Amino acid sequence: MKAYVCMCERVTVEDVEKAIEMGFTDLESLKRFLRVGMGPCQGRYCVPILLSILSRRLGVPPEKLGYVSVRPPVEPAPASLFLKVRKDV
Amino acid sequence: MYDVVIVGGGIVGVSLAYRLAEEGAGRVLLLEKGYLGGGSTFRCAGGIRASFTSREHIVLMKRSIELWGELREKLGVKYERSGYLWLISRERDVERFKEYSRVHNSFGVETRFVDEDFVKRVAPYVDTSSMVAALYDPLAGKASPFDAVYKQFLAARSLGVEFAVGREVDSVRVERGEARGVVVGNELIPARSVVVAAGAESVFLLRRSGVELPLAPVPHHAALTEEFGRLFDPLIIDVETGAYAVQTFHGHVLMGVEVEEEPFARPVVKLEFLEKVVSTWSKWLTWLPGANILRYWVGYYEVTPDHHPILGPVDGVENLYVATGFSGHGFMMAPVVAEELAEWIKSGKPKSEEAARLTLARFKEGRLIKELAVIG
Ligand SMILES: Cc1cc2nc3c(=O)[nH]c(=O)nc-3n(C[C@H](O)[C@H](O)[C@H](O)COP(=O)(O)OP(=O)(O)OC[C@H]3O[C@@H](n4cnc5c(N)ncnc54)[C@H](O)[C@@H]3O)c2cc1C
Repeated sequence: MKAYVCMCERVTVEDVEKAIEMGFTDLESLKRFLRVGMGPCQGRYCVPILLSILSRRLGVPPEKLGYVSVRPPVEPAPASLFLKVRKDV
Repeated sequence: MYDVVIVGGGIVGVSLAYRLAEEGAGRVLLLEKGYLGGGSTFRCAGGIRASFTSREHIVLMKRSIELWGELREKLGVKYERSGYLWLISRERDVERFKEYSRVHNSFGVETRFVDEDFVKRVAPYVDTSSMVAALYDPLAGKASPFDAVYKQFLAARSLGVEFAVGREVDSVRVERGEARGVVVGNELIPARSVVVAAGAESVFLLRRSGVELPLAPVPHHAALTEEFGRLFDPLIIDVETGAYAVQTFHGHVLMGVEVEEEPFARPVVKLEFLEKVVSTWSKWLTWLPGANILRYWVGYYEVTPDHHPILGPVDGVENLYVATGFSGHGFMMAPVVAEELAEWIKSGKPKSEEAARLTLARFKEGRLIKELAVIG
């Protein structure tokens, strides 16, 4: 059975461990190399799991590993929403 | 002692590292202060074309396109010659693009006007009801920035290049008109040649080393939709606004359009951009308002006064090379830049006369190069 870290992009614990072994040992690179957190959940569920795997693997407390950059709109938002922006403000 | 030290792990630095390794250029070290690709490279659209209007751009980009093909074959980098399509909705733009096309054709870049049926074939989910003409470039295409950086990084590393990620270079050590290496914290890392490929930040790094570059970081914005199946193959451009959209290998649509920005401005997100990009593209992608926007980010174009890169040796400082100032076209140019610089470092001369004309010295000597088509 496979244990998924990232459901949106179907990334498993095994994939993460392999990437760490290959030398991707910072969160931003792991995220992009594996695409963890780049799906519609925007990293909400998977990035904390990724963080804890990395923390255990490196023996570094999670708060020392930083966090990935968070990009707007944070949640997938219908494009039509932005057509309603007032332009004179 | 390193043979070559490269500052900056964007597409340019990583491509050069791989090229030097392949050519057996000795001991090579690349220093990256953040993470590989974390500058402009991972914010870019991945578009690749030779359909420019200056001889320098056309000749170098044509070679770069050949090299992109080699990268796909050798390393399996995701790269496709899926074309560029300029969508024209105003009669008055037609003549201008005819003229561009004549220039392209005279250099062997076969752009041509195409009819609605053709557009529907290569771009089934583009609405053509406001189209009066369309120019197609079959040689152009796209590559995945992630794939291009990571595959070249892994290949370079396996060939012996050393990567110091998370290490910031403070300055280039220059003594008696000669670069001796780079300074990191209190440490001097000695090198026979130093290459600054630090993107928009090259201007600050070199200033600390006594070299002034005419280079300005200018913020550019991009937004990404959720993923879809095949929508359109070419990168598409709305000629009226200069906005572009490209479907990534993963299926997302990545879109950009210009909003007002000052040189050296801080890259901040603007609601105004999202409004403009969605309204511009809704004209051609009528389904867009119902799609979701997944992410939005801002990155820098590293812009020079003539929108051409600054390449090669720095006048008055031996063994110091620069590769920056791509003005929005650095991703596509990286393979040929790597080839030219590797040759420059090895033999003191670049491969092509076009590259030779792009040195920093041109600004002092007043040899600026004209380029008309600065988009995507
Ligand atoms: C929205 C957008 C869309 C774009 N679309 C395209 C496109 O379709 N096609 C195209 O060809 N180009 C495009 N570009 C332009 C392209 O992204 C850049 O020209 C290109 O990525 C530049 O690559 P680089 O390696 O020179 O710089 P960067 O990718 O910026 O890399 C420079 C690296 O140097 C590091 N660095 C800086 N200072 C130091 C220091 N002192 N010590 C150590 N490291 C340092 C940085 O952290 C960075 O990682 C686009 C850009 C943007 C913003």
